[in-house]
Amino acid sequence: MMRRSGGIGQHTLVGAYVMDAVPDSDRAGFERHMLGCEQCREDARGLREAAARLAQAAAVTPRPELRDETLRAAAGIRQLPPVVPGETGDDAARRLRLAVRRLVRPAGPRPWLARMAMATVVVLAVTATVLGLHLTSMQSRLTAAQRRDNAIAAVVGARDATTMTARVSTGGMATVVMSRRERSLVFVARGLARLPASQAYELWLMSPAGPRPAGMLAPGQHGMSGPVVVGHLAAGDQLGLTVEPAAGAARPTSAPIVLVALDR
Amino acid sequence: MQVRIWSVDVHGDPADRVRQLPPARSGGPDGLETVLAAVARGDHAAFRALYDRVSPAVLGTALRVVRDPAQSEEVMQEVLLEVWRTAARFDPAAGSASAWIMTVAHRRAVDRVRSEQRASERELRAAKASIAYDEVTDAVETSLEQQRVRRCLAGLTELQRESVALAYYGGYSYREVAQLLGVAVGTVKTRMRDGLIRLRDCLGVE
Repeated sequence: MMRRSGGIGQHTLVGAYVMDAVPDSDRAGFERHMLGCEQCREDARGLREAAARLAQAAAVTPRPELRDETLRAAAGIRQLPPVVPGETGDDAARRLRLAVRRLVRPAGPRPWLARMAMATVVVLAVTATVLGLHLTSMQSRLTAAQRRDNAIAAVVGARDATTMTARVSTGGMATVVMSRRERSLVFVARGLARLPASQAYELWLMSPAGPRPAGMLAPGQHGMSGPVVVGHLAAGDQLGLTVEPAAGAARPTSAPIVLVALDR
Repeated sequence: MQVRIWSVDVHGDPADRVRQLPPARSGGPDGLETVLAAVARGDHAAFRALYDRVSPAVLGTALRVVRDPAQSEEVMQEVLLEVWRTAARFDPAAGSASAWIMTVAHRRAVDRVRSEQRASERELRAAKASIAYDEVTDAVETSLEQQRVRRCLAGLTELQRESVALAYYGGYSYREVAQLLGVAVGTVKTRMRDGLIRLRDCLGVE
């Protein structure tokens, strides 16, 4: 994974990197370089300790009110479970590939579906691999996007991850990777019909008790929509996709164009 | 150019602003690692202890980078809550608990500044004019930790020190630092790395 590294030139970035002084545009490249550069990871570890001391040297006592506020807020936030040891992005990717091979091998009459599923899986597998890095040595920087990536990796990397595909009635295919253990799924779709700007696709968890909004589906690149991570799955849920006003709706206003039974 | 590293211009009484931090490095019974492990199990008392230990450094870092006190306090609270939420994901093999938390803190502060910057194109020159090196104008009580870091920073070359301070305390990217200091981008990258290495060795970080 040493490609495109530029050797020494990349290596010197480690100081800027641990001080968050590498612009987003360069960061992905450097992180890729670090994957294949043991020395860089070791350097980053030590320099991060030094940088932390700069933070400590800047210490300023917060206003006392902030303490109770923060402690109270924490009580309302659910904590993430630990990452199971040995569960790396590589493992996740491997498991995902196996799952997909199972799904794809008997494809026979619908090879295009197999190709589509494989393309989806490659995207997810890449995400999972990249994530292995985040989950282990670089778990520290958590932007919203990275948090979503972590959630995706947790699902596709779960031992019980299963993949389902379904045809969307208005065109396109939906793929769901679900982990019952994580009570979460990742949804992606390909080739969905384009919508006017006033409308958008919205996901729902539909249960006998009624529908719960599960997120808006953002149009992605290359005809791909999503991924969307949907958590808090409950027994009996079905995943539905509807066309709604662009801002989203509190309840579905149209019939689902795809409905995936999650209990099977 | 001039970079003020040690004066703290914030709200409140100067004497209240700075407190000494315990050396937060060991994994022993009082170590931050132990506290963090208890936090990961949902222990609210441990989280209170963690807050007391790390919130000053988190807030101080945010203030250096973000400058605005209200926003810095928000950043501090967000960081502490992020630590609460993700404590179980801390991996001791990847570094100390303190480094993990301060990395989250610094990143969050920098993200805040960069998103602001995109919104209202920060004027580099204004920032450059407003910081002046080592003018301890306010009567700031410095902690032992501050003195130690300050002594070590003094051992860097001027360019190393300025590069590190502008990146870490200023929240500037290496390209911006290069522009501010009027030196080549490659030079700044090297100075940042070498400066931090010297700092690491001087502080005896393992």
